[in-house]
This record gives sequence, structure tokens and C-alpha cells, in this order.
Amino acid sequence: MIDTKESLSQLVSEALLGEKYPIAKIISKIETENNLEFREFLFQELIRQNPNSKEGLTIGITGTPGAGKSSLLGELCKLFLDFAPDKKMAIVAIDPSSNLSGGSILGDRTRVTLPRRDTRIYFRSQPSQLELGGLNPYTYHVIRFLRRIFDYVFVETVGIGQNEISVSLISDLSFLVMQPLGGDQVQFMKSGIMEVPEAFIINKCDEESLANSSYYMLESTLEFIKDILPDQSLPPIFKTSVTKRKGIEELLNYILNYQKRKDKNTETLTQLTQWIRNEYGRWGISIWEELESSKWNQAVKRNPLGGIHKLKYEEEERKIVSIIQTKIK
Amino acid sequence: MSAEKKEYLLVDENGQGKPDKPWIFRTYAGHTNAKASNELYRKNLSKGQTGLSIAFDLPTQCGYSSDHEVSRPEIGKVGVPINSLEDFRILFDQIPIEEMNTSMTINGTSMWLLSLYVALAEERGVPLEKLNGTTQNDLIKEYLARGTYIYPPKESMKIIVDMYEYSLHNIPKWNPSNICSYHLQEAGATPVQELSFALATAIAVLDAIKERNCFSDDEFEQCVGRISFFVNAGIRFVEEMCKMRAFTEMWEEITTERYKVKTAKYRVFRYGVQVNSLGLTEEQPENNAWRILIESLGVTLSRNARCRALQLPAWNEALSLPRPWDQQWSLRLQQVLAYETDLLEYPDIFEGSKVIESKVKALKEEAKLEIQKIIDMGGALVAIENGYMKSQLVKSQTERLSKINSNELVIVGKNKWTDGIKSPLMTDSDGGIFKVDPKSAEQTLNVLGEAKSRRNADLAKKSLEELKQAAKDGKNLMPYSIACAKALVTTGEWADALREVYGEYNPPTGVDGQKLFLSDDKVSTVRGKVEAFTKANGHRPKIVVGKPGLDGHSNGAEMIAVSAKHSGFDVIYSGIRLSPEEIVQSAVEENANVIGLSILSGSHKEIVKQLFDELTHYKAKIPVVIGGIIPESDFEELKKMGIREIFTPKDYDLMSIMEKIIDIVSEEPALV
Repeated sequence: MIDTKESLSQLVSEALLGEKYPIAKIISKIETENNLEFREFLFQELIRQNPNSKEGLTIGITGTPGAGKSSLLGELCKLFLDFAPDKKMAIVAIDPSSNLSGGSILGDRTRVTLPRRDTRIYFRSQPSQLELGGLNPYTYHVIRFLRRIFDYVFVETVGIGQNEISVSLISDLSFLVMQPLGGDQVQFMKSGIMEVPEAFIINKCDEESLANSSYYMLESTLEFIKDILPDQSLPPIFKTSVTKRKGIEELLNYILNYQKRKDKNTETLTQLTQWIRNEYGRWGISIWEELESSKWNQAVKRNPLGGIHKLKYEEEERKIVSIIQTKIK
Repeated sequence: MSAEKKEYLLVDENGQGKPDKPWIFRTYAGHTNAKASNELYRKNLSKGQTGLSIAFDLPTQCGYSSDHEVSRPEIGKVGVPINSLEDFRILFDQIPIEEMNTSMTINGTSMWLLSLYVALAEERGVPLEKLNGTTQNDLIKEYLARGTYIYPPKESMKIIVDMYEYSLHNIPKWNPSNICSYHLQEAGATPVQELSFALATAIAVLDAIKERNCFSDDEFEQCVGRISFFVNAGIRFVEEMCKMRAFTEMWEEITTERYKVKTAKYRVFRYGVQVNSLGLTEEQPENNAWRILIESLGVTLSRNARCRALQLPAWNEALSLPRPWDQQWSLRLQQVLAYETDLLEYPDIFEGSKVIESKVKALKEEAKLEIQKIIDMGGALVAIENGYMKSQLVKSQTERLSKINSNELVIVGKNKWTDGIKSPLMTDSDGGIFKVDPKSAEQTLNVLGEAKSRRNADLAKKSLEELKQAAKDGKNLMPYSIACAKALVTTGEWADALREVYGEYNPPTGVDGQKLFLSDDKVSTVRGKVEAFTKANGHRPKIVVGKPGLDGHSNGAEMIAVSAKHSGFDVIYSGIRLSPEEIVQSAVEENANVIGLSILSGSHKEIVKQLFDELTHYKAKIPVVIGGIIPESDFEELKKMGIREIFTPKDYDLMSIMEKIIDIVSEEPALV
């Protein structure tokens, strides 16, 4: 139905107006295999139709199963509707469940209830497609797309180790959600993951003293392992409770007032590297580094925010494929 | 005492033969509106019935007034709607409540209904000590199986304890709660699960009461004596009888050891039974009459496993709501069993049986292990919140269905001996089913509107504020609820006030990580079709499994969710009590290829209309299929509205259902 460029342009203009069904259809197409050509057209079209379109803040939320991430997001949504009446948010929830059949049950929507026909919050589930704890192969492109329509794009992933840091590579602000005294501290210290997120949430702080003791434990752990320079302070730690409705307002305010953006060039580079590694392994990376990376790196240095235009991802991907293909031949 | 005492006879203290009194025959009744139900009760009472068993409609059970948007399709369908004290005045008109034993099947709003009953008694000048009856009030089974819960587990338990505290001091003959394992079996529980989950629930209630420490030791014993149970009896009747014996023995042990109850009568396992509806078939429904009889035997045949009260489903319950004649037929079965046979003349006829004793022992041992597991976890409330109990039930249910699908479990007329002559019972002009007159809801709404316009608005508002404040302060809510009842507060207002303080609960769905045990040719056929779709479209087919409306019987939806995953679908399943708007919103945002609805409450026509209106709003053309208890006479209308396929209890073969669904999905032009 959106095979022709005309109908795609139409869908893009409806999506830019915030209509949910067109947005949903475009995401499905992004999630389809071999979609390079489609993506190329899509991102060009988004710029063409709305050259000054916004660049929403991406917020990664990760943590062990059972840490209560979905319920927390549900509460955030409720407050968001009141607190930010002129803003819009999207949520991409990645569910790790999958089995032999390849099918999955995606149940994270359960925690988010919205007013009827509301267009300010958009929720999308994604199966992780057997990539344990990590991101779906198309997550990055879905987020790139959603950032152009929504002010805030939340990405929720379940992780139990190194893999969960991948969400922080594609978000401007990432949170690690933990439970009080869950033994998480020691676990994460080992895996080195504590160094990655920008902020921490101790969720399920239903009981004051338990919450406080966990808070201080985490604080001292972070002082140990975070690379804290004299001019830097400790990353913020939020204590939240969904049942007691505590700490969520503070968390939301922090997100709404967060101004910093990560460099999208680095993000694009990271994603390209990861993609090449997935598709062609280390061999692919070495070919790319030999032939292209010097040019890339120079450009990034020259103009950190505009050197490699973030919309050129598809162009670069195409180039790499053709270079590697020639090598294979 | 006579020297020639006959072991096989039941005798009185003078050695005279004296058969047992029969169990209580119950009729679970209520429909349409308060006036119609009042007429029904009075008719039943004039025939010598002494007790009432009230069925409430789903909005009343879920804490919504009839004028709430979500109530509209459900008013008066599966029970009587109660909005305010005014409805109770009508419902009990000319019925002497001081002489009744009134059982109310109500859970999330049980405190409210008891408050209305107390308010009515006080208005009539009936001393509260004379009130006799039960509010079911087992929230745990609601979270697990039936779905009419409102508040989170901890707050719900607090309300239950409030009711025990108030009742023991003010309405001593009232049973504030009744542990109900009936629906657990309906949701797939094995006998061991029924035993352990029910007893763990009772332990959770008693522990919470102990913790509040509001009773003296003597009062606490009385309070233990107030706990009653409502259980299920299935088709494997020997095992079911053993289950009942195990229940009795285990309760005796728990009350003695854990709660140190000294008075023997307070340790008695008091229970009523409804026999199983899950095993009733839509195919050859006349066979259900025999099933109901056999299931009754398990809980009546032997004296040590004989229930105090029994209610039987009707032979045609798998088709729709039963008609009065169908219920009468079930009642007659009980009367034949109790009065024509010699069942009640003997002491326990299985006492000393090695087979029975060792079976009981085995059940007890397994159940004890399971109870210990739950207690180690932190008790029944924790096992609800972490999804343990729910996932165990969904697992048992999938295993059961897998066995039916593979013919390992024989169900006559369904997967074996399926050819038969059509039943002449079905050829009546009403098609063998009962329907509530849709116009009857107007009467309910009129009563509600009048009560609201006539009441002192300031007083109603003030009593609601006081209720909220009491909830915030952790006070016993009974007196504040009774004040609300007297101020003509409505069911929805009462429930909303507490929703504001306690929040609404959204429990785990239990389907995560579930597997089907099916791997035959049919599975490969369906998976093949799913793979073909995936190849053609570049992504897996996506199904939104929706459970709209207030009917919380989620087994069907859960089984479809698990089967769809087994077939290779990506499945969106978000649990029960969704509005058609929410379901469509999910399907639109997720760009689903198909929507599957599950509706058992009889409100399918209204809900399907709302759903298609919403699809039109989004300009979304997503095919919709529906499953549930849907009479054939509605098929044509539903298809005209746009429903692509209808599944009923006859369609038990999960992979055939999935094949039909993937065929529909594959026919659709690609959405992207």
C-alpha cells in the first residue's frame, strides 16, 4: 500500500501531523528486512517535508526483569499528560521473549493506560528477535524516525548484563533501574555496566529505610567506579515507588528539563560499526577501517555537529556494502 | 444404646435409624434489574426455599454504576445491577431479611454491598445480630481466575480484615469472606493446586487478621470458625472426593497447629460446592446432564466428603445463559439424589478404604509442599504479585488443552464419538437459550437517576470525603461505608473514592514464557503458513488478543495468546477489562495484522459495534475475529458488522483456530 513514492509521501505527511496509524505503518516498514532503499527515501522525505523538524530527546530505560520498568513508565505517562500539556512522547518497549517458533508475547503495554483517542503518547512493542537483552536490529532506525515527530522517545529494554548498555549508545539520557537491595550493585560492578548510564533509579522504594540504605550503597559504589573528575558530580540517583507514587514527579521533571544531547555523529558511527560487525564480522570492520574511516574521522573532527550528516546513514551503509561486496568478489 | 448396633446404619443417640439431613439446595440467581430479581426471589421463597444466593451484574462487581460508559453493554446480564440503597430496597421488598440466609457472590465491592445490607437492616429496624449470610470476598481468586478485582492485593486484604473486625463485633452471624477455589479449577487448577492455593489464601487472610491484633484469643477462634470455602467438583469424581477429604483434614491441621484453635467446631472445614462448568461441552450438550450428575457424586456420596450446600450448572451453560427450565432440571437432579436414593442413610462408606486413604495422603503431601513453597515466597499475596500462582494455572490449563488436542484426554462428543443425532432439546422456539431484554436497563438507570436527584447532595459528598480520609488514615472503613450507603452514594462513587486513594490493580497476565505441548503435523502446517507470510511481508504476523468489557474470564484469551506465539505470531496481550477503544489503539499503534476478541458475557454485539466505530475513526482496516460463548443465532449479525470468523467452545482445536486466523491474515493485502 505504500509501495509507491506518492503514497509514502502521503503517509509521511500524515505521520508528521502525529496520526498514529501512518506512524505505525512506517515503523512496520522500517522493521522489514532489506529496507535500505525505503529508509533512504523515508529520511529524505522527512527532511524535505519538514526541514526544521524537531530532534526529540531519546531516553533509554534498562534494568533487570522485575525491576518494575514498565509500571514506572506507566506512571510517567500519566504524569506527563498533566505536566507537559504541549509535548508528545513515544515509547518503544523491547521484549526479550521468544521461543522456537520465533513468535513472542509482548505484554508491556499492560502498564500504560491512556485516555481515549489521545495522540500525545504513542506506544510500540518490539520483539528483540532472539538478541538476548539487546536491541532489536531495527530499533535505531525506529528511534531516528520517532525523534522527528515526538519531543521525547523512551526506549525500554530488559537486560541482565553487558548487552543492556547498547541502549545507552543510542540514547541521549539513559537510566539503569534497580530494585532496593537486589544485589544488583555487586553484579553491575563486575560487568562494568555501572559506568555507562547517565542516571540511576532505585525503583520499588515502598519502604523508606530500605530505600535509603540502598541509596547510600549505590552512591558509594558509584563514587568508587565512576570516573569522577574534580568538576564533575555524581550521576543523579532517583528513588521511586509506583505503589506509593513517590519520586516520579522529580524523575519526570529531570527528564523534561534535560538539555544535553549526545553527539549524533558518534551515535551514527557506533550504529554503523555495530551493523557492519553483525553483517560482516571483524573482517568487514577491517575493510571499512582501511578504506573509509580516515575520511569519516576527519570529517567528524572538522565539524562535530554537521560533518557527517546524521541523515547520511543510509548513504554510508550503501557505500560500505558496495566496498565490501567488491572485496568479496 | 442398642447392643446390636449395625455398622452400616446412621443412628441417633437412642440408636434409632436417622439419616442425615440433605445439603442445602441453592439457586444462584439474579438478572435484569432489582424489580425482576425481587419477583424471582419471592417466587422461589414461596416454594419453600429459605436462603438467597444473589448474583450481581459485572458493573456492580467491578465498582461501576450503571450509567458509566463501560457498564452499558453489561447491565443486568449475568446478575442484578445494584447502584444504591434504593436498589436494595427494591430487591428485598417484602422479604424478611432477618429470616434469610443471604449469600452474595461479590468480591471487589463486597464491603459496599455489606454496607448497603446493614443500612437496609437499620432502616427497617432489624437488629444486626439477626443478619445471617456470606459475602464471598475472595480477592485472590479474582486476581487469578475471574477478574472482578479493583484494588491492589494489600489494600484489598485490608478491606477484608476491616470486614472481619466489624462483623465479629456487630453482625456476629455474618461470614465476611468465603475462600473460593471454584474458579481456580475453571482456570485449569489441578486438585493439588486447588487445595494448596485455597488453603494458602485462607492462611493469608488469617495471618492478616492476626497481624492487626484486633481480637481476643476467644474472638479469634470464633473468627476462624467464620471462614468458609466454596469449591469445585470435577469429572474425575473419585479423585475429587479424595480432594474434599484432604481439604477437611488439612484445615483441621492448619487451624490446630498454626492458629492453635482449641474449640473443635471452629476447626470444621465448612464448604459449599458448585460442580465444574469447564468440562461442559457445546457439542452434544445433552451429555452434560450426565457429567453434572457424576460430578455431584464426588461431593455427596460419602459422609466425610459431603458438602453443606450444592449448586449445579445447567446442561446448556456452554451455549449461553440457561433458561428457568434448565435451572429447574438441575435442581430436580439434586432432589432425586437426596430424596430418592439411600445416600444419606449411611456413615462414611469409604472409611478404611486403602485406595481412598492413600490417594488422600498423596494429595495432602503434594499440597503441603506447594503451600510451603508459597509461604516461603512470602505468602499468597506475594505469589499473586510476582505472578507465580497465575503462571502455574495458565501452565496447567495449556497442558490440559494440549491433551484434549492430542486426544490423550478423552471428551465424549468432542474429540471422540463426535457423530451423533442432534438433540431435540435444542429445537424449542427460543433456540434453547435465555436472553435479557435490553430495554430492562432503562428501569435501572431511572432508579439511579431518581436516587441521585432526590438525595442530599452535600451529605453524599461529605460522606465520600470522610470515606477517602479514613482510607488515607488507615482506619476501618466499614462505618464510613455504611454512612455512604445511608447517604445514597452510588456503587461507582464508592469504588472511585477508594480508587483515588488505593489505585487500581493490574496483575500479571501469566502468559509470559508459557509453552504449548503440541508438535504434530497441524503445528507444522500453521508454522509453514506463518513463515510464508513472514517471507512475503518482511515481518512476522502480529495479533492483538483483546479481552474487552468487564467479563474477566480470561482463559480463552490466554490460550489463544499462547497458541499464537506457538505458531510464530508476535502477540500483544494486555490482560482483561480493556475498552474497545484501548484494544483498537493497541492494534493501530502496533500495526497489527489481526485483532482477536474474547467475550463470554453475552455483550458481543454491543462491544463489536463499539470496536468497529473506533477502527473507522483511525481509518484502519484490520480484520477482526471473535471467540467466546456466542449463540449461533447471532452469527449472521456479527458477520454483517464485519467480523471475519467466530469461534465458540466447539472450536477446541487450537491449531485449527490458528490456521483459520493465519489464512485470514494472509489474504489481506499487505498493510505496508
